[in-house]
Amino acid sequence: MGTIAGMSALWAIARTDLRILLRDKAAAFFTFVFPILFAMFFGFMFGGGGGERGKIEIAVVQQDKGPAAEAFVRDLGKTPEILVKKVETEAEAERLVRKGDVLASIVIPPTFQKGFDDLFSTGKGPVVAGVLDPSRKAEVGLLEGRLNELAFRTMAGTFQNAAGMKKQLAKVREAIAKAPDIENSRKILFGAALQNLDTILNDNEKRESEGKPTDLGGAMAEFRPVQLELKELARDRSGPTNAFEVSLPQGIVWGLMGCVTAFVATLAHDRQRGTLVRLLSAPVTRWQVIGGKALAGFLSCMLVQWVLILLFALLFKVHLREPMMLGLATVASAYAFVGVMMLLSVMGRSGEGSAGFGRAVILVMAMIGGGTIPIFFMPKFMQAVSSASPFKWAVLAIEGSLWRPMTGTEMLLPLGVLVGIGTVGLWIGGMMFRRSTMS
Amino acid sequence: MLRLTNLRKTYGELVAVDGVSLHVRRGEVFGLLGPNGAGKSTTIGMCVGLVRPDSGEVNVDGVGSPMRHEVRAHLGVAPQALAIYDDLTGFENLRLFGGLYGLRGSALEERVQRVLDLVGLLARGNDRAGGYSGGMKRRLNLAAALVHDPPLLLLDEPTAGVDPQSRNNILDTVRELSKAGRTVIYTTHYMEEAQRVCDRVGIIDKGRLLCVGTVDELVREHGGKSQLRIERGEKSERLETADPVREIARVLGDGGVTGVHIDRPDLESVFLTLTGRSLRD
Ligand SMILES: Nc1ncnc2c1ncn2[C@@H]1O[C@H](COP(=O)(O)OP(=O)(O)OP(=O)(O)O)[C@@H](O)[C@H]1O
Ligand SMILES: [Mg+2]
Repeated sequence: MGTIAGMSALWAIARTDLRILLRDKAAAFFTFVFPILFAMFFGFMFGGGGGERGKIEIAVVQQDKGPAAEAFVRDLGKTPEILVKKVETEAEAERLVRKGDVLASIVIPPTFQKGFDDLFSTGKGPVVAGVLDPSRKAEVGLLEGRLNELAFRTMAGTFQNAAGMKKQLAKVREAIAKAPDIENSRKILFGAALQNLDTILNDNEKRESEGKPTDLGGAMAEFRPVQLELKELARDRSGPTNAFEVSLPQGIVWGLMGCVTAFVATLAHDRQRGTLVRLLSAPVTRWQVIGGKALAGFLSCMLVQWVLILLFALLFKVHLREPMMLGLATVASAYAFVGVMMLLSVMGRSGEGSAGFGRAVILVMAMIGGGTIPIFFMPKFMQAVSSASPFKWAVLAIEGSLWRPMTGTEMLLPLGVLVGIGTVGLWIGGMMFRRSTMS
Repeated sequence: MLRLTNLRKTYGELVAVDGVSLHVRRGEVFGLLGPNGAGKSTTIGMCVGLVRPDSGEVNVDGVGSPMRHEVRAHLGVAPQALAIYDDLTGFENLRLFGGLYGLRGSALEERVQRVLDLVGLLARGNDRAGGYSGGMKRRLNLAAALVHDPPLLLLDEPTAGVDPQSRNNILDTVRELSKAGRTVIYTTHYMEEAQRVCDRVGIIDKGRLLCVGTVDELVREHGGKSQLRIERGEKSERLETADPVREIARVLGDGGVTGVHIDRPDLESVFLTLTGRSLRD
């Protein structure tokens, strides 16, 4: 049989198993629905749902104590989406960003007031510098928008008292008069225009004294009075920022468990019902049959992992910081659990026995491997015990690509263990399968 | 088409198949008749490469041993234990098995339709096999053996546990296959079935193949004499004879005969003669 025909036979077997799994309502429930509910439940329980969610926390270092800066910081604090944490030094602010406690830090420089005062003559507002966590770009966008809006309001507040504006105008007029590159005729034109403005302002001054403030807002909507200079600062990932980042790997544990259980059961069923023997009497090799079953197991493990991951990314803002690494982690986990499936399915000789035995083993492994209590909550000795469970390594690999501070080299350990489990399981399981079907 | 040479298979102390040699000819329906535990399924298992013989060999149509997977492409198997997926529809089951034998695309679809029609399940093709009756499942099990149109079919008790309607359908299907030139090996413990569909029959017991031949040959050689029951009024007398027609003519000449009953020997009598036991034991 050629490779193409061999692959198509393998795929025919894999497709059949997948179809049967998806059709089995109980299996589909425990593989897909239950893990999602479980992870959602724990996510909400650990405080993922309410509280400060939706607020952007920023650290502010206020180096200018002038009225404009005071107003700016005060207004910032009043913005509903933003939670301001005042800190003394720039270093402290950056530390908070690195820790992931705040999204960004900004520094109101000592020249802030002057920047405002010179706004019209220089055309540039004060520079507000800071650092941000690049992994949360969407929120940074929102923050920038808010900061500009605020700066504008602060500025408007400053100039709304017409006296301040007149002072500005005087400066502008002076600047125009001195400018060497403006023709005299133009200077006269500008002078006239500015004179008119002065008249309006005088009028406003009168109105204000009568208690009628002027609104300059609309006219200046496009104006960017503050120059934001935010630099990216990679964060030290020392812990989950979101409870769903903890409960997602837990959900994945239960999802993988559902897959393994379902597949051990279908294999047992296959053997019991004689369909396995029937497959083997077709012109396919035993390895093709094993390969087909393994492929189905692999695909269902991948499916359940990514359904959970994408759902949580979408619904609960679980950020997929390292998608490549996450891809690798899910592939390694799926491979490992295919090995576990193989091994468990050949353990018991009788169909039902092997399914029952498999269920028990896998349940214990899931529980000690982080399915019930997140591994990093476990006491040290429990963490050591949990190393015996393949689930722990799957969780580690996934957490390592979500929030756990792990370097590429550190990731090699869980990934390697997973690949090892998969290979050993497939090899031993495959050999035993071959032997058990040869009479 | 299929040659078995001195096949032997033991399970521990138990000798399941004991030195079976057999040549099944192209285009015939060969019946393997024997009681429970005779070794029929074990023999079939060796013919399809699922059971490894302790000694002896199986050769399919000169292409080799079915232990080699490519040789199995020539075979179609309907196992005694139903081997269909309850969670799949009739169509899906057949597409799976057809796919395993390398059928694809429209060729596969056409064959699936054809065999489902042949076994009378076309109308139920889109229903899950789990919802089929016992007889329908048997027919689907048979269809799965036929989907890739193999030259050699091995049907292990294809009528086990079915109603008369399904049984007739299955037996008719076997005859049609034979007419179309397919070679069929058919195991059963019903001598009526063997007599009805098989060109030649081998009788197997305790792993040994006791005799092989057409039904007539076997009956003539091993069936013994016909039993005659002659009734004269209230009295009846029994006679054994090799030539019942002549014997009847003779007793009728005596006069006073009110009834004649002939029990011709059949495969049952052959089995009785050869083993001293009844097939049904
Ligand atoms: N895998 C096995 N392990 C142990 N003994 C076996 C095995 N398969 C068959 N046997 C034994 O071999 C003998 C022949 O069994 P086989 O299934 O071939 O009989 P059979 O003629 O098909 O019977 P039936 O009409 O009941 O199907 C029986 O005694 C059976 O118990
Ligand atoms: Mg049998």
